[in-house]
Amino acid sequence: MGFLEWLQGTWLGVLVAESLWGYPIFETIHTIGMAMMIGSLGLINLRVLGYKPELPLLDTRQLLPLAWIGFTMNAISGTALFTSDAVYFWGKYTFRIKMILIILGGINAALLGGRVFREAAAGEPATTSVLAGTKWIAFLSLVFWFGAVIAGRLIAYTP
Amino acid sequence: MEFLVWLENTWIANEIRTVPWLYPTFETGHYIGLSLLVGGIMLIDLRVLGFARALPLKSMIGLLPFVWVGFLINVFTGSMLFIYGATNFGPNKAFQLKMAFLVVAGLNALAFDLAVRRSGGSWVVADHPPTLVKGFATLSLIFWVCVVTTGRWMAYI
Repeated sequence: MGFLEWLQGTWLGVLVAESLWGYPIFETIHTIGMAMMIGSLGLINLRVLGYKPELPLLDTRQLLPLAWIGFTMNAISGTALFTSDAVYFWGKYTFRIKMILIILGGINAALLGGRVFREAAAGEPATTSVLAGTKWIAFLSLVFWFGAVIAGRLIAYTP
Repeated sequence: MEFLVWLENTWIANEIRTVPWLYPTFETGHYIGLSLLVGGIMLIDLRVLGFARALPLKSMIGLLPFVWVGFLINVFTGSMLFIYGATNFGPNKAFQLKMAFLVVAGLNALAFDLAVRRSGGSWVVADHPPTLVKGFATLSLIFWVCVVTTGRWMAYI
């Protein structure tokens, strides 16, 4: 508990908690970063699952910068929101579930990136060449990230 | 105001206030709809502006069904969230601004759509959007960020 209380007492925690605009500004950034991440990762995953086969699989890599910008925005804004009330957030099971889903989503994205782009680079851009296992990873990725959105939204409503 | 009072006292509004999981469910649905709507629109606008050039412009504009699904989800969930506290949300300045940005964003999207139809899509295939269309794409990004921002702010004023 000591660390969480220290965090709440830092200048950032106090600023976000007590200033008029701090909390809503970071919340807004968090929402826009979410749309960027879900939009770009969602499309890559759907493409792996066979949606819009005319999109060159290897080139969906070009969407990754958008996902990274969204992720960075949300890591920063999420940390700021967390510090404003660290003890409260840490005590919520939905917050912990969200963190687990984000970690799973991250591991999953690394696996997917390795497999998909290796398969695509091997010169098999057709959907059918995506291995079934890779499709499972893409499907799980959608589950993890949408799950993180749902768990995050429910933090305010659960013990 | 009378209309808002009536809305707030409809059967469905009462249900949303009394059944504990309804409001969070609609709110969560609103965020999923937002991700589809704004996520999809951002991909289209950024592609028009030159991002991720290797992905065919035509296919990216073809993401519009996702945007529509997200929009419909949010019209529905947004209406449900609104009637929950209509007398409170109605006069809310951030809410009114959000609705104004929504109308402007909608008109802008219409103008974009018209520009695609008018040209017969020749610039779409040629991957060479006219400056005017790039203008619509830029405004679209700005307006939708404004919709999200004012929506988020409703809880704080």
